Amino acid sequence: MAAAGALVAELPPADVLIDRSARTRFRLGFDRAMSWLTPLLFLVAIVPILDMVYYISRKVVPTLTWNIITSTNPYQTDALGVPLQTTFYLIGLSTALAVAFGLLGGIATAELLPERWANVARTSANLLVGTPSIIIGYLGYLAFVLYFGWGLVFLSGAVTLSFFMTPYVFRTADLAFSSIPRHIREAALGNGAAPSQYILRVGLPIAFPQILTGVFLAMAIGIGETAPLVITMEPGVLVPSNVFSPAIVLTEVIWENFTSGEPLLVLKAFQAAFLLLVIVLALNVIVRVISARYQKRLEGLYQ
Amino acid sequence: MHPVAEVVLDASAPPSEPGGRQPLPSPSSPRNGGSPSAPGSLLAWLRYTALVPALIPAGIIVAIVWTITYASRLTSLPGFFSFNWAPTSSWGIGVFVVGSFMTAVPALFFSMLVGLGLAVASTTYLPRLAASLLDPFVDLLAGIPSVIYGIWGYVVIGPYFGLTLNPWLSAHLQFLPWFHATKAAPINTLGLGLPLAIFVLTLMALPITTLLIRDSLRAVPRELWESGLALGATRWEVLRRVAFPYSRRGIMSAAFLGFGRAFGETVAVAMLIGSTAQIPPSFYGTGYTMAAAMFELIDSAYTSAQWLSVLTEMAIVLLAISLLVNVAGRRLVISLSTTEVAGV
Amino acid sequence: MSGEGPVGNGPILSVDHLTVTAKGKTLLDDISLDFASNSLTAVVGPSGCGKTTLVRSLNRMTELTPGLRVKGAVNYLGQNIYDRSVNPVLVRRRIGMVFQRPTVFPNSIYENAAFGLRLVHEEEGKIDIAVRHALTRAGLWDEVKDDLERPALSLSGGQQQRLCIARALAVRPRVLLLDEPTSALDPGSTQRLEETMEHLKEEMVLVLVTHNVGQAARVSDRVAFLHTGHLVEMGETEEILERPKDPLTQQFITGRFP
Repeated sequence: MAAAGALVAELPPADVLIDRSARTRFRLGFDRAMSWLTPLLFLVAIVPILDMVYYISRKVVPTLTWNIITSTNPYQTDALGVPLQTTFYLIGLSTALAVAFGLLGGIATAELLPERWANVARTSANLLVGTPSIIIGYLGYLAFVLYFGWGLVFLSGAVTLSFFMTPYVFRTADLAFSSIPRHIREAALGNGAAPSQYILRVGLPIAFPQILTGVFLAMAIGIGETAPLVITMEPGVLVPSNVFSPAIVLTEVIWENFTSGEPLLVLKAFQAAFLLLVIVLALNVIVRVISARYQKRLEGLYQ
Repeated sequence: MHPVAEVVLDASAPPSEPGGRQPLPSPSSPRNGGSPSAPGSLLAWLRYTALVPALIPAGIIVAIVWTITYASRLTSLPGFFSFNWAPTSSWGIGVFVVGSFMTAVPALFFSMLVGLGLAVASTTYLPRLAASLLDPFVDLLAGIPSVIYGIWGYVVIGPYFGLTLNPWLSAHLQFLPWFHATKAAPINTLGLGLPLAIFVLTLMALPITTLLIRDSLRAVPRELWESGLALGATRWEVLRRVAFPYSRRGIMSAAFLGFGRAFGETVAVAMLIGSTAQIPPSFYGTGYTMAAAMFELIDSAYTSAQWLSVLTEMAIVLLAISLLVNVAGRRLVISLSTTEVAGV
Repeated sequence: MSGEGPVGNGPILSVDHLTVTAKGKTLLDDISLDFASNSLTAVVGPSGCGKTTLVRSLNRMTELTPGLRVKGAVNYLGQNIYDRSVNPVLVRRRIGMVFQRPTVFPNSIYENAAFGLRLVHEEEGKIDIAVRHALTRAGLWDEVKDDLERPALSLSGGQQQRLCIARALAVRPRVLLLDEPTSALDPGSTQRLEETMEHLKEEMVLVLVTHNVGQAARVSDRVAFLHTGHLVEMGETEEILERPKDPLTQQFITGRFP
């Protein structure tokens, strides 16, 4: 092969380990540059988070009193007790609905449905997660506020919000049950457990921590939602006395006040943002802690 | 929406077991594993009652589609497919559609760029410990409520854009007509407008793009990495020539789902885009998006059938685009996992 | 191939007091050996003896496993590849490697073979020649010459493995490390690959890790027997396989090891 011989002569000799050709220097230098530049991009995520937390805390912490957080007096304009309590009630009801729908649906998908239907259920849960919040809020508006005639009240908001939270509980329940090791499932059924006994006595205890992370995650999402609640509820001045009362949540306080220009109201928006941030970050930490523990537990299970 | 959850849930799709996971046996014959289709057995049908809770998410989606198509038949709208928004004589939603794309596309571009870099850093360049310390910050970005992005963007970032960045950009991009602010289309000092919305949307889409790209780069078999390196390629060269091509479906699905996230975002955009029903006269001008418009204009719908119907039709357009994007993105994820099963 | 002999009289590749540890555990303990040029050295031993660690340390692939620490030297033409001034990327261009399972990249046969050359921006004409040359030497040319644009993944397992060899040969390494290259192949493909190795060893240093004594006997000139990280014995293949000095080697050859 004469041609190949010519090539061989032109290739750099293969017997030196140090190559100072421009091309090689460029290749190695580019790789090194990327190894420094790409980690620097983490600043794009870290700086905004720290700035947000720092700015909001600095502005709010000196002004925050126990009275502001707890007072539900409707005549006290700087109090946040009403939206705070309303948020908890609303999330409570939505979480209850989401857990009821999501848990049943997830378990049914993982354990009872034939593969084809299970995939339909999973796909639609994924699509629901990807649907813009305003669209789900708009469904709630059309269906509950207008069609059912509930009006702009607590219940409309709570049910609408539960639509957001359901797919998260659903998917974690499905995932938790689906990833129970086969041998455990077979051992339970092989020893004569009825399917319902397997689900309640074996599956649920194993899947519980992961489902719990799903529930907390859903709560974190629910607490942070703004648009669907603003359009399905009328801001109330009192903690709702029943499900057909108007209601105001923390995110709504921010939305209503942030552009007002009135320093007191802007401060109120920031105070609400601070409380919201604390709650949401705490929920995120809880999710992380549980899932870290759960992973250890699952590793043990597989051994 | 919570992209981290979405990705976490999505990436860890139920493990497929060899031979497939069988549904639990019918209640009728728990020990023998009764056939789900045993004819004549009433109890066997009980299995299908499981469909009811399982299809709740599907039901919600059907309800959305049904409700908004039902509501959209209320009244006719002159000039709906135009760029002329002058209620109640012309209802052109064109400005909102264009505004949605003008914010979502650049935001997606930037978040894909940064997301690729972050995914590369955490899978390739950083030591494992450093990556595990830094990655949670990106995840945390997904946990922050959009209304907090909004107020932070409005109070902290907006003035910087309005007073410093936008004038600077305008001065240096004079040669591009649309990127040069004029007297007719001045820069507002609050900084509200496209750049601010794009900036915040970039941050909001960043977790989902980063996580999906990270996962798909992690799915590149170790042996492929090593054989690239064993041929004397640098880490970057293996990334560019082996890992990116191998995980291109995952990267594309990151783009689709990231776009869906930026396109549908409501509150933060409503707080930052300036809420003006116009196509921004310059890059620094204010505009509107479909999601923000639906959100802010809904009060009028409470009393006016015409408003209700225009918002509903906007909802249809928004829903159609976001479903399309999500289905496309997820199909890519699914086919990615099937190629993995098939092996290399 | 002319001009491929060793520079001076030293061996192309030699290992000098090499110790590899991982988290306090010693994987290789003070190994010293030479790899003769124009020959194939088989590294054999029971599983877990450190033979894969040994070949991976020969082109600094050990660095890819976090927690591995390498002491001692590996000399390529008299230069320590672990020297601070030496970049592993360049080491790996001189000392190629083929893995247990075929690891073709997800593109065409041609692009797979050209991978290493594209990195240094060779001209298209040169790449064409080098690809053809490498595929010929790997014994794959006749089977794929009509359709080089086919996806490499459409090849059979044995062909894929030979493509991996061609890919490594295209950058003209002096040394090729083969880490159990036939362990995932059927007997027919194994035989073809062994023929390829027979040809290749005439022009370069081949290091073959294998758990199969029969294969070592068929293709190797020299055998190094490793046990629990120690080099027990090394010498001419016939010598080692027929008249082993150490009882451990004896046991391994007669199949009394797991």
